[in-house]
Amino acid sequence: MARRIRAACVGLFLGMTAADSVGAVDVVVVMSATSPTVTLNGDQIGAIFLGKSVRLANGAIAVPIDLADGSAERTTFYTKYAGKTPAQMKMHWSKLVFTGRGHPPRQVSDAEDLKKLLADNPTAISYIDASLVDDTLTVIADY
Amino acid sequence: MRCNPRFPWFLAGSLISLASVADEHQANLPVLHFDGFGTLGVVHSSEEDADFVSSLTQNKGAGHSDDWSAGVDSRIGLQVTAILTEQLSAVVQVVSEQRYDASNSPVLEWANVKYDITPDFSLRAGRIRLPTLLAAAYRKVGYVNPWVRPPLVIYNMLPITSNDGVDASYRMPVGAAVATLQAFYGRRDFRVPEFGELNARDTVGLFGTVELGDAIVSGGYLQTDVRIDAANELFDQFRQFGDAGTAIADRYEVDGSTFSLWTVGGSYDPGDWFVRGEWGRRHTRAFPGTAMGWYGSGGYRIGQFTPYATIGQRIRVGRTSDPGLDVAMLPPPTREFAAALNAGLNAALHSDEYDSLSIGTRWDFMRNVSFKLQLDHIRLDAGSQGDLANAQPGFRPGGNFNVLSATVDFVF
Repeated sequence: MARRIRAACVGLFLGMTAADSVGAVDVVVVMSATSPTVTLNGDQIGAIFLGKSVRLANGAIAVPIDLADGSAERTTFYTKYAGKTPAQMKMHWSKLVFTGRGHPPRQVSDAEDLKKLLADNPTAISYIDASLVDDTLTVIADY
Repeated sequence: MRCNPRFPWFLAGSLISLASVADEHQANLPVLHFDGFGTLGVVHSSEEDADFVSSLTQNKGAGHSDDWSAGVDSRIGLQVTAILTEQLSAVVQVVSEQRYDASNSPVLEWANVKYDITPDFSLRAGRIRLPTLLAAAYRKVGYVNPWVRPPLVIYNMLPITSNDGVDASYRMPVGAAVATLQAFYGRRDFRVPEFGELNARDTVGLFGTVELGDAIVSGGYLQTDVRIDAANELFDQFRQFGDAGTAIADRYEVDGSTFSLWTVGGSYDPGDWFVRGEWGRRHTRAFPGTAMGWYGSGGYRIGQFTPYATIGQRIRVGRTSDPGLDVAMLPPPTREFAAALNAGLNAALHSDEYDSLSIGTRWDFMRNVSFKLQLDHIRLDAGSQGDLANAQPGFRPGGNFNVLSATVDFVF
């Protein structure tokens, strides 16, 4: 419960401030280190996580992976790359889910599970606390 | 509600037999998703001689039937989606809410199979909600809407809200924008409180949107042929009165009569605030007549709260009364009956014009849950019953009343 309240406060605070330099967590966008070189701008990354099909240079479609709903990393990521609060993201996906048009990205519970998943899937893209980046990951964007 | 009794159950059966529950690896198809939504709401209306309802298929609501009605907005929806291959999926959604007979029997809202020819071009067959307005396809999912309910001045202009049929959806970039076009065709039977069964056939139309950043513009057209047998019984009585009676019956009855709906809309939602507006025109020569509806709405997000205001209007175009049969010219024994028929005709033609002004706020106080409080001030035009149902003998058309609604919307 405390974690949720903290996440909600972070989200509230982030939502209310215009500058994105303030945040409880420094989040970077990552893919597996084994992925071919990828260049994606902030808008494309946002589009991937909003459900649009974005192709990588090799023609494959990028597969977004989310961290746990309510986590500080997730809230920070969506504020920066999609400009949406968690409630707004839920509304966005609910419109698609309940009209049969799509489902939100797969979700993993923590950074360890994420690293394993990215290692197995070269087209998967996600975000992580910057301090947890290691050499199994490539940083795609860092805004 | 009439539907092929075999179709959805076959689909549900095949979903259950095929799949394992949503799985570790996305490549490991088929996958099943279970989702749901709901609303718990109470409504109070100051108009005590009729019921405030939220949809054209409800016959009981707040005001006369209940001081505080939980039936107007409360509902629960459950959905199963099966991703069968990368291109093929199926969905079944069942909604339980108060219906035309005041029961809450579950209704099949969506039941279709979708095939993605490309990620941008898909075909569907089965039961599909119709995209006539921006929020029409997901109207019942309270959590995604900023208001307690979509503005009824336009969202209640036509009870034809879904099809059993086919549709196609195509999305393409237009410069920096994305355009989507949907085309649909099908049929469906509905039940409306005053008249019972309504059959819609050859329901066909288009709905297009163009999205650029946080802005959307939309336009739609729908056309359908409608039959309402119970209303036609009234008009068949007119046919006993020679050419004059036949002319009245032919004009006003709903026997394969074409109804059309044009809509345009726009929305700008950068996140911290939004504005939205839609306009629509429903046309038919039959007794429900031609009407125009529009609304404008705006809101601003302050932390967890999003207060909003909406103004809207429905205007009737054309006749809301008819002199009917010339009673004086008829032989005396038939005059009373003819007068009663004329009264029935004019009751059917009655105006449903009104203005509405709403203010409210949404409060996202918890993950996946939102609370809303909304006050509607409704001004009925002279002679109008608006969208009120269950009008009592003491009900006086025209006048003003207020509606207070509190809802909790959730998704899971």
